[in-house]
Order: sequence, then C-alpha cells, then structure tokens
Amino acid sequence: MLTFIRKRSVASLISLVGLVILVFFLSRLTGDPTDLYLPIDATDEMRAQFREIYGLNDPLIVQFGHYVGDLVQLDFGESIRKARPAIDVVLEAFVWTLQLAVITMALVTAAAIVVGSLAAFRVGGFFDRVSGVLSLVAASAPDFWIAIVAIVVFAVGLGWLPTSGTGTPWHWILPIAVLFIRPFGLIVQVVRGSMINALSSAYVKTARAKGIKTRKIIFVHALRNAMLPIITVIGDQAASLLNGAVVIETIFGFPGVGKLMIDSILQRDFTVVLASIMVTALAIFVMNLLIDLAYAALDPRIRH
Amino acid sequence: MFGKAITGGALLLATSLTPVWAQDNKAVTIVLNEEVDVLEPCMATRSNIGRVILGNVNETLTELDVRGDQGLMPRLAESWEQMEDGSWRFHLRQGVTFSDGSTFDAQDVKHSFDRVFDPTITCEAARYFGGMTVAANVVDDQTIDFVVDPVQPILPLLLSLVTIVPAETPIEFVRDPVGTGPYAVTEWSPGQQIVLTRRDDYWGEAPEVTQATYVVRTDPAVRAAMVEAGEADIAPTISQDDATNTATDIPYLNSETVYLRLDASQAPVNDVRVRRAINMAIDREAFIGTLVPQDALLATAIYPPTTQGWNPDVQVPAYDPEGAKALLEEARADGVPVDTPITIFARTANFPNVTEVMEAIQQMLQEAGFTVELQMVEVAEHEVYYSKPYPTDRGVYIIAAMHDNRMGDPSFSAYFKYHSEGRQSGISDPHVDDLITRASAATGEERNKLWSELQAYVHDEVVADVLLFHMVGFARVAERIDWTPTIATNSQLQLSEIGFKE
Repeated sequence: MLTFIRKRSVASLISLVGLVILVFFLSRLTGDPTDLYLPIDATDEMRAQFREIYGLNDPLIVQFGHYVGDLVQLDFGESIRKARPAIDVVLEAFVWTLQLAVITMALVTAAAIVVGSLAAFRVGGFFDRVSGVLSLVAASAPDFWIAIVAIVVFAVGLGWLPTSGTGTPWHWILPIAVLFIRPFGLIVQVVRGSMINALSSAYVKTARAKGIKTRKIIFVHALRNAMLPIITVIGDQAASLLNGAVVIETIFGFPGVGKLMIDSILQRDFTVVLASIMVTALAIFVMNLLIDLAYAALDPRIRH
Repeated sequence: MFGKAITGGALLLATSLTPVWAQDNKAVTIVLNEEVDVLEPCMATRSNIGRVILGNVNETLTELDVRGDQGLMPRLAESWEQMEDGSWRFHLRQGVTFSDGSTFDAQDVKHSFDRVFDPTITCEAARYFGGMTVAANVVDDQTIDFVVDPVQPILPLLLSLVTIVPAETPIEFVRDPVGTGPYAVTEWSPGQQIVLTRRDDYWGEAPEVTQATYVVRTDPAVRAAMVEAGEADIAPTISQDDATNTATDIPYLNSETVYLRLDASQAPVNDVRVRRAINMAIDREAFIGTLVPQDALLATAIYPPTTQGWNPDVQVPAYDPEGAKALLEEARADGVPVDTPITIFARTANFPNVTEVMEAIQQMLQEAGFTVELQMVEVAEHEVYYSKPYPTDRGVYIIAAMHDNRMGDPSFSAYFKYHSEGRQSGISDPHVDDLITRASAATGEERNKLWSELQAYVHDEVVADVLLFHMVGFARVAERIDWTPTIATNSQLQLSEIGFKE
C-alpha cells in the first residue's frame, strides 16, 4: 500500500512540475501586468518603476529561475494586486471552496445513490420515470440562471434566505443547493445504469433466492459492486468543484478559489494564478489518491 | 397539515434570520461591484479603494465640492496661497488627530508625499504629478510649502488626490490604514466584508452614520436584489436593466464620456472633411433613451459639463447624412481615398449595449458612404490600439473608448488626448499644443478662457474625434436612506453625506 502511495506521489510531483513550468510561461504570454495594474494615464516613470519593483524587466528565464528558487523554500511570491503573500490569499480562498465542495459532494453522493438505486430497482416504473426526467433536467440546467432565479424567489420574493454573502449557516443554503443540482442529475444517471447491471447479475438472483430482504440486496450486495464507476464520476465532479465554482462564487459573493483564479488571470497577477493552480492540483491529487484507495477497499482484485 | 408545516417552518426561518439582517438604525451596508484588493491610502484614487477609504478613513488637504459649486474646499488645510516664486504654502488645521491617537502636523503631510513618490512602492496618486518634481518643505507644525517644478497652478486641486497618513507609516502597502477621517477600519475579512466605525474624536462634525459595512458582489442583479431585500442600503452601481424602481433607483452623470478617436495621421481620416462627415453621419439623438440611458447627455467635450472652463457655445454636430455624403464626394473629387476600409475597434463590455451602439454607428457610417468594419476586442487588445505607439499594420482604424475625468479640470484629459505628444492623441496641431501648454500654466479666469477656447477649437476646427455621450450610472438606495449619487460616486462615497429619512 505504501509503495503504491509513494509511486503515485512521485508521478503527481512530476506532473506538478510540468504544470508549473507550463503555467508560468503561458501566463506570461498574456502580456505585461504593468498595463493592467497602472491606469492608462500613468507616467512612463511609474511604469518603469513598477517593472523594476516586480522584476518584470529581467529575461523570462531569469524570472523563472527566481520563482523556482523561492518556490523550493516554499515562498510562492507576493500578489501584485493584494500586496501580500500569494499563498495566504490562495489558502484563504481555498478553505471556502473546500468546504463548499465537501458539503455539496457529500449531499450529492448520498442523495444520488438512494435515488439512483431506487430507480434501478424497478426500471420503467413511476419512480424511475420521474427521477429520470428530473435528473436529466438537473444535469442540463444552466447554473447561473438557477442561481439568479433562486435569489429572486427565495431571498427577494419570499425573504427566507439571504441573497448572497457569508456569515451565517443560512448563507450556505442557496449556493449549496444550486451547486448540488448538476452533479446530482449526472450521478443519479450513473448510479441507475450501474445498478441495473449489478441487479441483473447472478449473485443478486442467488441472494433473492435465499430470501434476503430487498433493501439489503440493493444497498449491500449490488451497490458495493456497482460503486466503481460511480466513484469515478464522483471523483470527476468533485475535482471540478475543487477547481472552484466560478459562477456560483461570483453570483453569491462567495470568496472561493475559482473566482480568485479568474480574477488573477484577468489582472495578470501571476503569483496568485500559479499558487492557486498548485494548491488545487495538490488537492485533486489527494482526492485521486483517496479514490484509488476506495477502489482498492471495494474491490480486492485491485489490491493485488 | 403539510402546508402548515411549511408556513411554520418559513416563519421560524424568517424570525430566526432577523437578527442577521437587523440593522442598528444608523448603521449602513454598502454593496460595491469590485473587489477591494488593498486598503492602501496612497491607492485611494483607484475607485474600488477610494469608495471605501477616501474621505472616510483618510482625508486630503483639499477637497473638490461635487455637490455644490464651491469649487475647491479646505479639508485638512485651512487655507493656502501661492508665493512669489510660484510655490504653494498651506496652513494646516489644528487639533486634528489620527485614529491611532497621534496628532496631525506638517511632518505627516511631508511623509505622505514622500511615500507617494518613493521608488520602492507604486502609489497610484503619483500619476497626477507626471513631469513635475514636488518637494514638501515643513515650515512649522502647522505650515508646509510645496515647491513644484515646473510651477503648478492647480497644485491645490492635485492635493485633493493625496491622502494623508501618519509620519510613522512604513514605506510599504499597509493593511490597516490610519487616517484623520471620521471613520476607522474596525474589520477587514478579505472577500467578505470591510467594516468602518465612526470615531468619537473626529475633528469635524460627527456624521450620522455610526457604522458602515462594505460587501462586494460582482453580479449587478445581486447588488440590486440586496437593496430590495433589505440586506444593503446603497448599491452605487447597478445595471440599467435592473434600474426599474423609480422610488429607489437614481440615475447620475458618472464622469465617463464615450467617444470615437480618429487618427488624423492616416488617409482618408487626415482630411478634415472626412472627419466632419463622420461626425455628421451619426444620429446621436437616436441612441438616447434607446441603447443609451435616457439621462445621458450628448457630448461636446471629452470631459463632463461640470468641468472648469466648460464652453456652453460648442454645439453638437447636427445629424446630416446628406451633408456627410456631399462632403465625402467633395473629398473624393480632390483625390482623397474615401473608400479605404476603416475598422472600428471597440471594447467588449466597455459600457452597457456597447456592441449594439457600435453596430448602429457602423450602419450609419456605411449609409453615408464609408466602408466600415467593426471589431469587438478584449481590454488587453484594445489597449494596443488605444495608446501609443499605434500599430501601423492594422490599416485605418477608429477606436471607440470611454474616458473618465472626474477631477473637474480639463488638464487631466487635454494633454494625453489632444497634445501631439499625448499618449492617446490622434492629432498633431501646433495651436492645440500651444493652448494646452498655456492653459495648464494659467490660473483663474485666464485658465478657464483658454480651456474654453481649446474645447471649441478641437471640436469645431480640428474635429479631432467623434464625441458621443456623457454617460450615466444608476444607484439603488434604500428608502430609509437620504443620499444622492454625484459625478464623483464612481471614485468616492463619503459616509458623512448619508442621512436617514425617518
């Protein structure tokens, strides 16, 4: 097991290094931060001085050398925009994203497995049809529109929930609810498909013949075997949430890493772009590792 | 039964929520549109920062009256005079303290200036002092001299842009600004909120608002919804589409002017008849109340009508497509290549409906006989065309842009928009250069007269550009609040100007 983790870590480290090199040079291609940071009528002295302070006059390769030199000492550099360490800015935002992603995915997983399994149990039945239509609608609904409508209905119209922002548990309800919809729709479909397969297999028939309770057959015998593709999709959806839910963060004024990343790219705040990419990449690596371990736990064949 | 449970739950939810939104009667929440990156006083001329701290936390020596017509008013300076050698002497207010308890004196002013010009940090305020050297010399605790080279007639106005910090402030960006203003920053959770609390030991009259909470929502519909739902009291900018409630939504001239810059170095635009024809071919009136808000004004200068030296006699060019065609024919007869394709470059999301406005202008120009293409570009690409050195391999182009001059003096626009050396100038005219140089150095009536003359000359004789609209913004203000936006609302929002109706 430890060898497995070690191997995966080395592979991930290599891709992280590649990612840093790629993003460093690609982001520089977008242009000089000076033009965006300083107002259009800034004097030439100000421009020259700004480039000097942030080392933008050095050749790219020298800038990269400085960056890597600092990075090995775990110094991610200063954010130009925010005038403080980039890693602080990113971690602050990432904590919000992580909470949002974990809560949403936990709810999605639980709800989707129950609904998908029940739908699979009686294919073509009433529950299956209703959940089929609803999950399709959910999987294809545009989240920015749902978000605005949710604010208009639940915050402005009914006054039940705050429109946006952070501060109390109530503030989490709308963002999570809106974020919930799409992965839920998708995962329900996957659970259903995977469960139909599992339920038609020989061991389920045997279990039935032995007179085991239906609930136990679905949620113990069949589900465990159906879980592998489901976990893959959950991992995929969770990864996109860890990258930040830009639309949701923007509309609800949620200080997450997705919005931070977009803003930093638009403002050419390179250190923040790089730090947020590294942090999210690391998080996705950890998550993939967990998923691999889950595979191994569920399926003894993978363990060997 | 089920219905009852839902209603009950909702009621419970609503009552348990009330404390979250309950406002101390004199506390306000302001919802801004742009993230606040730093709370650094020397960056207060940047709108997102200025709206929070300018005049609230940090004060300036002078202040431009944007509500009345008093012009430049004293703030931390009580009076000032120009000395014989052209330098300026400022007499400072006594009995002023900073929020950290220290006393305000001339050393603080000197340090604030030295900080702005220090080469190790980039302070935005420095941009207004381009081409000048400023030395601040302390005479005594209450008196300070500014020696500016070359002599600067509008130095008192420029000083309305430099915020004063204590002499102990380090030469690096601070996160907890200390100032002499009526409020102090009591909380800043980046990405969530900034809270300013009223000081008890402010030197001036105590404002009504006791506490202000600033939050940021980038989506305009959400900002409007927050005021409607009672979560916020003021949203300084909402979109035109959301401004549907006349009881709360207030339009205001926002100091932005939309125009098309013509590059008079390229044929056929180098011919004044062609530039005139472009101006005559555009039906400006048709946009007002349709694609451009009803309250927008047709522009005759690149700065708003509240600016010093405004010339009321300059007239908007009449819409005359036939006249434009005739002028074009005349130019064609003289061998001017009027059929050369011209590209309009405009910036996506520069202002509401920018694409539609530009498409309409393209259509109008085509009807007058021009060959016009339209390209909408992103901000970074727009900048390539907007500022010198202009690209020479893109053919003949017109750039659509929006210019902001909220400072009340044409000098903040004239040089870089019209001087031969100006970074974004499309013309090169010795008389224009001369007028700008003389006006910039003049004072009082003479100065106003020269700016007036420049406005007419650039507009009527040179026909340097196509001036379109002085734009308006919309603010949504809760009904309990007594506050109106001004031309300066984009850059500052003084809490002391907020009152309560009940």
